[in-house]
Amino acid sequence: MAQSAIKLQSSLMREYYKYFSKYAKGKSPEKKVAWVTAFTPVEILEALGILYYYPESYAAVIAASEREQPLLEKSEQCFLCRDCCSYSCCIEGSLELDDGPRGTLPMPDILIATNNQCNTLPNWWNILAERYGVPLIVIDYPGEAIPRERAYEYVSTQHRDLVARLEELSGNKLDENVLAHYIENSQESVCWWKKIAEALPNKEIKPTALFDDISYLITARCNPNTAELYKAVSEEVNALPDADKSLIPLFWLGYPLWYHPERYLSECLDGFRICGSNYITWWSLDYSGRDVYEKLFSAYNYTFLNLSQKTRTERLTKLIRDSGAVCAVTLHNKSCKCDFVSAKDIGIPQAELEIDMIDRSFLSLEKAKKQIDLLKETVCTR
Amino acid sequence: MKILSLSGFVPEQICDTIRFTGYSAGTSISHYCGYASDYISQVLNDASFDGAVFPKSCDSSRIIKSYLGQTDKFVYQLPVPARRDEIAVNYFAGEIRAYKEAVEEHYGVDIANINIKDRIEALNKRNEEIRALYENLEEKSYSEYLRGIHKMLATPLNEQSIPHPGKTNTGGKRVYLVGSFLTSEGILDTLESSGLNVVGDNLTESGRLASITPCKTDGDIYKNISESILSARLSPTQNNFGDILERDLKEIKEKKVKGVIFLTQKYCEPYDYLYSV
Repeated sequence: MAQSAIKLQSSLMREYYKYFSKYAKGKSPEKKVAWVTAFTPVEILEALGILYYYPESYAAVIAASEREQPLLEKSEQCFLCRDCCSYSCCIEGSLELDDGPRGTLPMPDILIATNNQCNTLPNWWNILAERYGVPLIVIDYPGEAIPRERAYEYVSTQHRDLVARLEELSGNKLDENVLAHYIENSQESVCWWKKIAEALPNKEIKPTALFDDISYLITARCNPNTAELYKAVSEEVNALPDADKSLIPLFWLGYPLWYHPERYLSECLDGFRICGSNYITWWSLDYSGRDVYEKLFSAYNYTFLNLSQKTRTERLTKLIRDSGAVCAVTLHNKSCKCDFVSAKDIGIPQAELEIDMIDRSFLSLEKAKKQIDLLKETVCTR
Repeated sequence: MKILSLSGFVPEQICDTIRFTGYSAGTSISHYCGYASDYISQVLNDASFDGAVFPKSCDSSRIIKSYLGQTDKFVYQLPVPARRDEIAVNYFAGEIRAYKEAVEEHYGVDIANINIKDRIEALNKRNEEIRALYENLEEKSYSEYLRGIHKMLATPLNEQSIPHPGKTNTGGKRVYLVGSFLTSEGILDTLESSGLNVVGDNLTESGRLASITPCKTDGDIYKNISESILSARLSPTQNNFGDILERDLKEIKEKKVKGVIFLTQKYCEPYDYLYSV
């Protein structure tokens, strides 16, 4: 079964990276190419035969390959302030230097950005639009800021507009049955991923595996192989030994540290076990609805970072309760201003660390260790 | 009713709001826009205000409500569209109506269409006068002009007076300012004492305010207000850097500008990204 998971992973990776410059050997894709943000309704693109790529995810790969620093420096030399999101700084550096562990992404024919995770990504996509001189579509998701009915009308009008523009670009006509099929695939991927994530509190799972494996849910959620992969991984996970309950259960609240070999501060967490993470739930999208447009609306308007503080607090509190965590490491991420406020009222002791998920130079490990030691002391003396 | 507003997207046509122009002793939030955190501080600490209205337009404004959770004041986040097409105009019109209804409900007042129409006319007149001032900016003291606008926006509409800036040294080097709301007024003195003559800008409270097309009073007034607000030259939060560059560069050429001064707040990503292009 393990081999099956590895084969599926390899197949998904091969498919995704096929046209990156290191492997394409000058060959361009026959299909149109879109660059998209992480919560774009890619089922529409899939149904229209458009290839799509995630610059954010590639920034994570670059950091994991320990190649981010020269790229961050280059983007700063090109006048992009280092205070900006490091995903963008890293990729801008990569594009300037034509450098990256898998080369660079295939050239875009269109750029699609959404603001259902933050408002920074559309800003970044604007500078990409200036760089490539290609059309930019921004999809505006009001989230819970307005009542569902009004939000649905606004979002579904934009989704229909997106379809029309992509039909024109691709020369293909959308078949709603095909779109429904890809949405089902995404639902299936989400379903199996949830089973894996739900095992974290009780099984001896390395969080590293979850932080890495979620990438398929991000970049290939409507590919049927993703659900197959997660089904296989789920079986593996269930066969793992139970978690060591003598360790302090800790919730990892924030992004994985992509530059870190383990994606979290393993060197600071002796005596703890990570039993929960909010990041691994972000792409567990809820595709509920009567038709394809309502399903896409439900999934993409109500992403975690697009919810009200009240709902985020409720969801986080439930996640933490279900995980059994008694404390949390909360990441004040320089690159994601919308995230850390989520942890305002979670009701358990927290060590709040200043970090960046890409830029390793941003972390003071010594300070982080002290904060986590203090957290341990707090928990143990309660 | 005394509502502190944060943005040029807040429809002044609906009711009086006091424009936020700065506040000391601000809350400190790491990696977070100082302008927004000062606004949060004033809403929380200044008892003379009983309400707050702010947009959802950038990452900092997006989470203001999270920090205002403990106040029992009127707190309203206006969803500003991230685009400017017909879809956005219709959507924003609906949100302006919802804002009006929320004000009515919270304060127990009735905002009649006739009152909104009166305010539209008054605002059209005010904006026309600002436009006339803006078009002759090179002859005026820019610091007096901008300070006058700040004072005007922090006053109820029927008490507002148009600034009357004195003359400036027209022989100064002609410069153009790019940026968001300019809270640090000391910068204005530095510019003038350096012998610079600001002949244009795209600041929220100046160049963008002057560019708003008059709001119609017939037909659907909410759609009219929406069209009028969205007609202003763009903020980088509206996702069309190309349009901003084209319009700014055209004005810069026409006004024979010798230099551009780009003002950014720390942690103001929309302008940080704009700067890079």
